[in-house]
Amino acid sequence: MKIKLTIATTLLTLSANVFSHSLQLEIREVKSNQGKILAQLFKGESNYQANKPMMAQQSMAKEGTLILTFSNLENGEYAIRYFHDENSDNQLATNLIGIPTEGYGYSNNAKGNFGPAKYQDMKVSIVDSDVITHSTVIY
Amino acid sequence: MERRQALKSLVVGAATTMLPTTESIAAFMLQEIDSLAENKALFDKALLNNPKLIGFQGTHQEFSKTRLTIEGTIPKDIKGNFYRNGAALFERGQQRYQHLFEGDGMIQDFHFNNGEIYHRGKFVKTHKYQQEQQVGKFLYSGPDSRVANSLPVSTPETINTANTNIIPVNGELWALWEAGSPVAISKEDLSTLEYVNLGKNSDYGNTLKGLAFSAHPKVEANGDIWNFGMSHTGHIVLYQLNAKGITRNVNLIKTSYRGGMLHDFLITHKHILLILPSLEKNNTTSGFFNAIEFNDALPMQVLVVDKATLTLKKCFDLPSGFAFHYGNAWEESDGSIHFDASLYSSVDVLHHMNTLMKGLNPTSLSTAKTTLFTLKPNGTVQHDYIGENSEFPRINETKVGLRNHELYTIGSTETMLWNDTISNYHVSNGKIQQYIYGKDFLVEEHIAVSPTNKEGEGYLLGTALHVPSKRTCLNIFDVKELSNGPVCRAWLPYHIPLGFHGNFVATT
Repeated sequence: MKIKLTIATTLLTLSANVFSHSLQLEIREVKSNQGKILAQLFKGESNYQANKPMMAQQSMAKEGTLILTFSNLENGEYAIRYFHDENSDNQLATNLIGIPTEGYGYSNNAKGNFGPAKYQDMKVSIVDSDVITHSTVIY
Repeated sequence: MERRQALKSLVVGAATTMLPTTESIAAFMLQEIDSLAENKALFDKALLNNPKLIGFQGTHQEFSKTRLTIEGTIPKDIKGNFYRNGAALFERGQQRYQHLFEGDGMIQDFHFNNGEIYHRGKFVKTHKYQQEQQVGKFLYSGPDSRVANSLPVSTPETINTANTNIIPVNGELWALWEAGSPVAISKEDLSTLEYVNLGKNSDYGNTLKGLAFSAHPKVEANGDIWNFGMSHTGHIVLYQLNAKGITRNVNLIKTSYRGGMLHDFLITHKHILLILPSLEKNNTTSGFFNAIEFNDALPMQVLVVDKATLTLKKCFDLPSGFAFHYGNAWEESDGSIHFDASLYSSVDVLHHMNTLMKGLNPTSLSTAKTTLFTLKPNGTVQHDYIGENSEFPRINETKVGLRNHELYTIGSTETMLWNDTISNYHVSNGKIQQYIYGKDFLVEEHIAVSPTNKEGEGYLLGTALHVPSKRTCLNIFDVKELSNGPVCRAWLPYHIPLGFHGNFVATT
């Protein structure tokens, strides 16, 4: 009985550890309190490429720095992308040829170069502990 | 609103496209090879033996207000400012750009005041200029120049050098580039104000933000400003702004053009002419300008667009050719369209500006010929060469889109390195007036200034660098007696980098 209980407790502890991590994104240089910040979390490159977010977060925009937290995450590789939805229409506004006209950014402070940031630059790994990443909004 | 939705449906890239350019450029930009120090060493060495290269050396120095020494008499009826723009800063640290088009823009201002002329010059304080100035080195790769570990480019404004032209708009000046927004400049002190959001105060809102607004807008007699902007997809944005710079109408024209270089365009009273030269990008060649090649098998194409609707009406194929610049277009009542071009039979001249930055002399360089084209309603095309060695064509500004008789150009007679001659072609009777500055001068664009607003009256005004004395002079010619030489020459006590385009803004 004692052995079984120990195994069960260990499993519970392990499972609590594996799924209890958080990924915190500190978003810097938000230019105004107007609108909101919308962010999507992707688990793994294939989901990112397939545009299948695992979860989403939003926050009222706040000039300066704000923090978004994604909780209850298991170990693994993640990427976040977000934008500053200044006009609160839930869409990233673009100009006529598709260049964003609202601020945006990526986890790990990844930047695009003549295109969006690459997954490899955005990814952050959770390995048995909480992770904090930061990003400066690109306007 | 419906129109905007319709426009948006033409969008080829998703929001994540972010910046219109080719993958080849992106790949190129990411390369870590740095040949800019080598470029500087080559130029510095060449400068020791060729004093003419001071025109292409560039400067770090701004120029505070300086009164010029006058030879002759300044015509009393010239009142206002002559503004010019050009790439002026080519070197940071021990590095030098590869192409003349890559330098940071500098505004030159020649102010006419009570019988005196004053000069001042200031850099356009773009995002790029300010960032690089702060650290004293290049941070961003240019179209042809690879900067090791260069910073990423998120939007065109990140690397907008605002270095090509300057026009007056609603009490301000707009410094223009090829691939990004206009940059507003204060007339008072030439300070840099902001990137112009072309949709501001119009129904277009932010949908025009960051779109290309090219450096050769055409201003019609009613003050309307017409222009285009090109994207790598072949889409060409067309703009009609009113005299206050408020956008009235915009449309996207879908083309298959992939030449990379579309520098100028034309209007008539009814139409816009987009003239697509016989160019294509070679994706196996590094660099942006460097990869542009002439293809003799490709016709030059003229897209005729209705100004009222900004939609494509007709397309003409011309013989193969390339032109940076056009002077004017006009249209007869039967629908025949006339226009001129400084027409090249290759794109050597674009690559010449790469060798110039290394201080190398051209060995053989094809020059542009002034060429008159006629597009007939039945689809046929005529063309006639009317002059050799022509560039930077300008007309009396009151004739934009209307029948002009006079066409002012610069060209080379005694030296191939740069220009040394100015000409006035009478496109109707074929008469030519010329003035050869001579091989001691490097001559820049000359513009018509007519206090009476009449073609054939007034002055031709332009700058030239006098190599032996290392000074730039501003020259004023009577347009009726161009061949007699300048009626007034105003000397700077120093020289300024050779630039590109400018305009006169009269004081009322």
